[in-house]
Amino acid sequence: MKTFLRENSLGLVFGLLFLIVLVAQSLSGLADFNERQLTQGLNAISYGRYVTSASFGVDVAENWQSEYLQFLLYIFLTVWLLHKGSPESKSLDQAGLESDKDQKVGEFAAEDSPKWAKVSGFRRTLYSNSLGLVMGFIFLGSWLTQSIAGVAAYDEEQLSNLQDPVTWGTYVTEPDFWNRTLQNWQSELLAVASMAILPIYLRQRGSPQSKPVGAPHTATGVEG
Amino acid sequence: MLPPVRDRRKAAVLLSLVLAAPTGCAAAGGRGDAAASVATRLLTAVQGKNGAAACALLAPDTASEVEQSGGKACAEAILDENLPQPGAVTGTAVYGQWAQVRVGDDTVFLAAFPGGWRVVAAGCQSRGDRPYDCRLQGG
Repeated sequence: MKTFLRENSLGLVFGLLFLIVLVAQSLSGLADFNERQLTQGLNAISYGRYVTSASFGVDVAENWQSEYLQFLLYIFLTVWLLHKGSPESKSLDQAGLESDKDQKVGEFAAEDSPKWAKVSGFRRTLYSNSLGLVMGFIFLGSWLTQSIAGVAAYDEEQLSNLQDPVTWGTYVTEPDFWNRTLQNWQSELLAVASMAILPIYLRQRGSPQSKPVGAPHTATGVEG
Repeated sequence: MLPPVRDRRKAAVLLSLVLAAPTGCAAAGGRGDAAASVATRLLTAVQGKNGAAACALLAPDTASEVEQSGGKACAEAILDENLPQPGAVTGTAVYGQWAQVRVGDDTVFLAAFPGGWRVVAAGCQSRGDRPYDCRLQGG
C-alpha cells in the first residue's frame, strides 16, 4: 500500500486536491448564489440544489474546457513547434511525427510496447493519436456543457431581470458565452507560453519540468 | 495498453453523466405546470374579486409593494391593479429558481419559494430587449 501511494503520489495528490477545491468552489458558489437570492427577496437554496444547478455547472465547465484545450494545443503543437533552450520543446532536429524507429511502433516495437503500437493500420493510427483525441473529446464535451449550462444560467438571470429567455443558438452568439470562454483561454495560453519560455533561463532543482540546474540556457529538450 | 472494455464503458457512462447533468433547465414539465397553475390562479382570483387568495400567491416583496403603492391592504389593493383576464396558457419557461408564464394576454414572472411558486411580477408587457413593463412587481 505504502509503495502504491509513493509510486502514484503525483496523480493521487492532484486528484485529491481537485476534489477538495471542487467542494470548496461549490461552497463559495452556494454562498455567492444565496447572497444574490436574498438581495432579490428570495429564499436561500440548498447545497444539493446548487450543485445540480446550471449556475454551478457553467462555472465548472468553463474552466474544464479551457484546461483541456490548453493541453490539446500543447500536445499537438509541440509535435511541430520548437523553442530553443526550452525543456518543453523537442530537440531542434526532431520536429514532426518522427520515424517509426524513434516512436517504437510496428517492427520497431519492443516486447513490452502497447499492443496497438505493434500492429499496423487504423488501430496504430488511433493509438498514436489517442492522447490528443481524448483531450480533444473532453474539451469539446466540456465546451458544449458550458454552452448548455450557460444558457440555462443566463436565462435564469434573464427571468430574474424580467426579460425573455434566449435559445441555445442565440446564447452562443451572446457576449456572456464568449466572455466566459475567452477569459479562460487567454489565461491558459499565457500559462503555456510561460511554461515554454521561463524554464529556458530559470531552474527548479529536481523537477522534470525544469532543466538540470547546471544545464546551459541553450540546451533544448532536456528535462531534469 | 487501453483499459479493459468494461472499464472504458464505465468511463464513458461517467463522462456522459458529468457532461449532461448540470443543465438545470426545463421548458415545461412538472415545475412548468405548477408555475402555470399559480399564474392562472392569481388572475382567476383577481377576476373573482378574491384579493386575499390572489395575495397569497404573491412573493413577499411583491405583496409589500402592492400594499405600499396602493396605500391599503394587499387584498384590496391588488384588485385595483387592472390585471388582465385569465386565459389559456400559451407558454411556460422554467430556469432554476425562476419561471415565466404566458397566460391569456398576460406575461407572469414567478420565483421558487419553500411553499412553491410565487408571483413576482404580473400584468407584464414586453419592451423588446428591455425588462418587461409590469403593473404589479416586487422590489
